Amino acid sequence: MVVGRVMRSLIVAPVMLAVAGAASIAAASGAAAQAYPSKPVRLVLPYSPGGIIDYVGRTVAQHLSTTLGQSVVAENRPGAGGITGTDTVARSAPDGYTIVIMDPAIVINPTLQPSMPYDLFKQLEVVSMISSSPEVVVVAPELPVKTMSELVAYAKANPGKLNFASAGIGTTPHLAGELFKQRTGVDATHVPYKSIGQSYPDMMSNKVQFAFSSIAGALPFTTDNRVRAIATTGLKRSEVYPDLQTVDESGLKGFEVDLWLGIFAPAGMPADVMSKLNEAMNKALKEPDLIKAFAKVGVTPRGTSPKDGAVFLKAEFDKWKKVIEDGKIKDN
Amino acid sequence: MEVFSNIALGFGVAATFQNILYCALGALLGTVVGVLPGIGPVTTVAMLLPISFTLEPTSALIMMAGIYYGAQYGGSTTAILINIPGEASSVITSLDGHKMARMGRAGPALGIAALGSFFAGCVATFVVSFGAPPLARMALQFGPAEYFSLMLCGLIAAIVLARGSIIKAIAMVVLGLLFGLAGSDVNSGIRRFTFGFQGLADGIEFVALSMAVYGIAEVAINLERKAGDVGVVGQVGRVFPSWADIRHCIPSVLRGTSLGSVLGVLPGGGALLASFAAYTLEKKVASHPRTFGEGDIRGVAAPESANNAGAQTSFIPMLTLGIPSNPTMALMIGALMVHGITPGPRVMTDRPDLFWGVVASMWIGNLMLVVLNLPMIGLWIRLVRMPYRMMFPAIVGFCCIGTYTINSNVTDVAVMAFFVVFGYLCLKLDCEPAPLILGFVLGPMMEEYLRRALLISRGDPMVFLSSPISVGFLVASALLLLVVAMPMIRARREEALAE
Amino acid sequence: MTIRAPKDFWSGLMFLTFAAVGLMAASGYSMGRGGRMGPGYFPLMLSIVLGVLGAILLLRSLVLTGEKVEPIQLRPLLTLVASVLIFGAMIPTLGLVISLSTVTLIAAFAGRDTRPKEAVMLSIVLTLLSVGIFVYALRLPLSVWPVF
Repeated sequence: MVVGRVMRSLIVAPVMLAVAGAASIAAASGAAAQAYPSKPVRLVLPYSPGGIIDYVGRTVAQHLSTTLGQSVVAENRPGAGGITGTDTVARSAPDGYTIVIMDPAIVINPTLQPSMPYDLFKQLEVVSMISSSPEVVVVAPELPVKTMSELVAYAKANPGKLNFASAGIGTTPHLAGELFKQRTGVDATHVPYKSIGQSYPDMMSNKVQFAFSSIAGALPFTTDNRVRAIATTGLKRSEVYPDLQTVDESGLKGFEVDLWLGIFAPAGMPADVMSKLNEAMNKALKEPDLIKAFAKVGVTPRGTSPKDGAVFLKAEFDKWKKVIEDGKIKDN
Repeated sequence: MEVFSNIALGFGVAATFQNILYCALGALLGTVVGVLPGIGPVTTVAMLLPISFTLEPTSALIMMAGIYYGAQYGGSTTAILINIPGEASSVITSLDGHKMARMGRAGPALGIAALGSFFAGCVATFVVSFGAPPLARMALQFGPAEYFSLMLCGLIAAIVLARGSIIKAIAMVVLGLLFGLAGSDVNSGIRRFTFGFQGLADGIEFVALSMAVYGIAEVAINLERKAGDVGVVGQVGRVFPSWADIRHCIPSVLRGTSLGSVLGVLPGGGALLASFAAYTLEKKVASHPRTFGEGDIRGVAAPESANNAGAQTSFIPMLTLGIPSNPTMALMIGALMVHGITPGPRVMTDRPDLFWGVVASMWIGNLMLVVLNLPMIGLWIRLVRMPYRMMFPAIVGFCCIGTYTINSNVTDVAVMAFFVVFGYLCLKLDCEPAPLILGFVLGPMMEEYLRRALLISRGDPMVFLSSPISVGFLVASALLLLVVAMPMIRARREEALAE
Repeated sequence: MTIRAPKDFWSGLMFLTFAAVGLMAASGYSMGRGGRMGPGYFPLMLSIVLGVLGAILLLRSLVLTGEKVEPIQLRPLLTLVASVLIFGAMIPTLGLVISLSTVTLIAAFAGRDTRPKEAVMLSIVLTLLSVGIFVYALRLPLSVWPVF
């Protein structure tokens, strides 16, 4: 099948070339008049290929194409921790043909970065939240702790000895660690890596002792206990780790870190376009195939209305802003 | 022996009609994207990712692996023919490879690159079969301190690469390190050397730098020197390497293969270091090192074998530990997880068909690459006979598209323009770009490991002397430095005596 | 004072310039304290080393005799750089066809013996080929025609 597809595109290319000019002119002139969506929708993925966003984004694009009745094309626009891709969407026309999928970095960046090319709350709006997924707390196998409360006790007994890994400054694993330090008064050194995956060899050899990791990043190492998973960060238990307590259950009431994803569009879209897009999105999120595909990487679909999405966004913005300011994260 | 029954199992899986087809498709696609600028294995694998979800996981992985090592083959083709190394590991190949092409020996250069790679691929396949578990354990021994010492050793080796002035070579390495630091700093999140440009937030794009310095700056120099109706190559000699060529290269291929097999296992720069290290080693053991950089066929054979062996063994940490050595590997891990397979030590026992099937497919893929590439040589060398005045606008055009499409970032194109001027000056002033490139690629990693090591040791520099591996590399660095400095000191003394 | 080794002299000057830019930029970043090395430390050290090496080259060029720099011809270099910059300015809005044919056409005039008719032909062929390969076969996110 793949062979066919690739071969066909190789053979067809010259032919298509000949008609390309005519076709694209025709498409451009016809687009404006018809009802939305009359041409393909561009879904910008602001990270490099290969991560969760990429996978979830492509899955969403595929199902949204069906529910919207128009092809949705996923396109990677990586750079500057998601800012570059988000910025191109923030600057696009609010016509519903350019949308972006983003993670908590979209609310963290404005607080963390000294300058931003766009204003999150003025230039972008939520179409719908799409998913939610907890992080999992993993510890080095040599560390004699099996639960979250043991980790806190151990850390307090060994002040200044523990390191925790993250996927870089201001990433959710980093801020989750900071939140943990702030809630418990534990003293631990932050050791940033380029991605959480890179930290696992150092965790296996006990150079770093714990991390708040994405489930997808942790799975290869927790299934055979090369590192130990001790808790998940949702308010409900994770389906991937049903035996693990949540951090909330372990005593840190209300401690929640969510690696959510949402779809955003340039602000000022016509109301009918917004509602059509939101409906199609929520319909797609109920498809069994999509739910199954999400579950493989530990992600649960969660659709919202644009309004609820905006409320959630503001709450997340305030939550991480406080963690960043209390932890003086910008000062190093 | 169990290994043989495993290999037999692997060939049973890999030699099915379907898997051979995907293997061939991957290898072919890989070669194509390796030759074309602006699209590398990462992008290709990413584009095929959704399709791969519909395939059987073994077939999917076989195809992706084919793209990955096929691209290594393709990358050396452009490095040799038009001096555009698409990937860092081909930079070294262009040193002697392109010189050979200009001497009318593009055919033998391409031939030895293909044969050397094939040999290295075969050996590395066996290394993966026999040595995966112990090599994976070795990779786990490397913490931040060990990596830092390894990178330091690699940088000093880069100085040996230089043909001319040692001081200039060191300065170029240091300048490369500085260029490499541009962009967001992993440890603090601060953006360095971006001068306020949003487009530089992720640093200087490697492709923009290498295409500018090697591709376009070289064009500027060539246009000053020659008339436009001559090809890159004046005359074309033989199409295939002679027996004498091949015999001449055998020891180099062997050395390159062993270096590549070992270094390739280390995630983060291992495979790249392998090609540099192999070249350095050849230059050091050769009886007439002066021919290196002037179109010595061993200077093509060794790094090409090393980077292909490295590409193969970099699958070891991925398949046995679940640790990605590079972005392409990270994609493959993602693909496996979507199929419900968790990469890690259990893959070998839980899914032996997958593990051994992929290993066996590598051998088949390498065979196909040779079969595919050798006949192409005749076609390629006809291309370089094109009059230069038709050739160079094409080079410039492809460099532009290549650089832009990497990130769809206009800043990258502007950066390329800057480095054209810089590269031109370097060529005029006899400052060689190869050490700069190595510094550029290793710089950010080196700083990252240095700071991480010190962070974990709470600032105690003794951490670099606390493990035998790290000490070993530091000692090797010191020895290398001595080897480099000796001839210089001797020359100075002779000069002084002469006056 | 005479420059005896022009190649060394100018490369020394080049390295010194980069070292100066590096020093200026690095001094704006934190040096860090204790075990936590700041973002400014490594670039500062590198800039200093680069500066020292540049200075050695520069001073040495006044003493030891070395090679002359071949004369710089501005036409090829500037034409090539201009063509690249123009491509960068055009590609985001004007699409691949216009940008690529322009860049190859301008670049063609970097050579001495350019034949205009041939250059036009070449630029057309290259553009057609590239649109076919990059846009239709590889499906890279490039627009073919201008977008407004």
